[in-house]
Amino acid sequence: MSAANTDIIQMLNPSDCFTLAMDEEIRQEKMPGSLCGFALELSGTPDIEALEQRITEFGTRFPLAFASLQQRGKRYFWCQREQEHPLFYQHYNTHKIDEVIFHKETVVRLLNHKQDRETIPPVEFHLISSTVKNTFLMRWIHPFCDARGADLILKYLCTESLDARKRFDLPKLEPLVNTQLAKYKWWQKISLFFKAKRYISKLDNLQSIIHADTSLTPKRLNFNTYTLSLEQTQTINTLARQQVGLTGTSLYYVGCFMRALHKMNPKQAGEAYCTPYAFNLRKNKALSPLLSNHVAPLFAQAPKALLDDKAALLEHLKQQNMQTIREKFDYAFLPVMWAASWLSLEQHGEKLRNSMRTGTERSSFWFSDIGHVDLSNNSFFGSDITKIYHLCQISSPPALAFLSCQFNKQLTFSYNFIEPLFTQKWIESLHKNMLEELLTP
Amino acid sequence: MKQKIRNFIFDELIFVTEPENFSDDDDLLEAGLDSMGIMRLIMYIEEQFGVTLPDSEIDPDNVNSFNALEQWVLQHKS
Repeated sequence: MSAANTDIIQMLNPSDCFTLAMDEEIRQEKMPGSLCGFALELSGTPDIEALEQRITEFGTRFPLAFASLQQRGKRYFWCQREQEHPLFYQHYNTHKIDEVIFHKETVVRLLNHKQDRETIPPVEFHLISSTVKNTFLMRWIHPFCDARGADLILKYLCTESLDARKRFDLPKLEPLVNTQLAKYKWWQKISLFFKAKRYISKLDNLQSIIHADTSLTPKRLNFNTYTLSLEQTQTINTLARQQVGLTGTSLYYVGCFMRALHKMNPKQAGEAYCTPYAFNLRKNKALSPLLSNHVAPLFAQAPKALLDDKAALLEHLKQQNMQTIREKFDYAFLPVMWAASWLSLEQHGEKLRNSMRTGTERSSFWFSDIGHVDLSNNSFFGSDITKIYHLCQISSPPALAFLSCQFNKQLTFSYNFIEPLFTQKWIESLHKNMLEELLTP
Repeated sequence: MKQKIRNFIFDELIFVTEPENFSDDDDLLEAGLDSMGIMRLIMYIEEQFGVTLPDSEIDPDNVNSFNALEQWVLQHKS
């Protein structure tokens, strides 16, 4: 290593590089890059001193939280900074504006914060406080960790016992993408590589239906969240089980969301609805690895002709998903991501994702379902958690992301959208359609 | 058969602190076996044991423990 590179902490793994390519894509649109958020709404004020101590402990245990993303040659690395930045911030409603507006606008502002890739902190924790409400927001850039990692960080913060916290991120593991790749002989990697290329080409035969008004310039990320009642959640869980079975709960949301979009304008140009989703390489309930990305992309795609028949659509998505696993397309992306990690970010985007504004974007919307969020005692430093939701910046197109999670037996949907390509009113109508789809047998 | 399924689940799908203390009747769904994991497991069983497990039988009762899984597979093994 040359003297100039002595500040390198670690290299980005192929899955991190994939998220960095998305970061680049979003930045090219003069938007903030791949910022993500995980928000907890709290019934009261948490124990701020204890929270701050826990965050400090997190920073000491995981110094990558203070690192800076730097390019060395073609590749990117996490590097040490000269000065550590704060991890914890507090925001108060000093201008006494409407509580709801204050919380929402603060979250929107934080998720739209623009800062150079080299100087933006990988992760920050924000407590937004007003008289009757508190929101705890964890904001991170995607190369730092994936959604499962963010979930683990929150679990770490919420874990009271020091001994239990020490178990996080142990055993120390290599990036799971590399571990999985190491299981293959070189000819198997090549075979998987071409399998993934064929899979991508097949998906690209059908042009994705995109509802965003792409003639407009992206201005900012906005979001709407909806928490469903216990009864609605129960009904949806039952219908998902009945209509898609035990193996495809998330596919029920995907299918219903495709139909909800279709209803917004059945004549929208394009041939199919398509959405990428992440295949996580971690074992479920594992506490390691905590940081970095350990995912590969997969796709759910449905031709327009199937949209009018819900049962046929859901069966199609289910069979497609089973075929994906049967044919090992999930693992096929690993050598592609590995090979692409040696390319420049621009080339990476071209090879793995279709370039923006070419009219051939592979996704109609982004999708993530993190399932049940399980935080100890459903409380956060002495305050009850009333709601949890996710946020993410999105490339335009598709300029739309549907993120779901279940907490306290209630579903929360977070619709993330880029304005003015989508409007709040449009999203409200979309949610009405979505509810109707989800709740109708 | 059960040991192979155990190894696959604990090596690839779910993390438990002490797999040796996880009994054949313990609840796999509670332990973190999710929809994606169930699909992977079914593909593995079909490949390893040369059986076809019908979609219509993918039910919590058939996948919620090692004993239930074994019973289910044995029903379809000629």
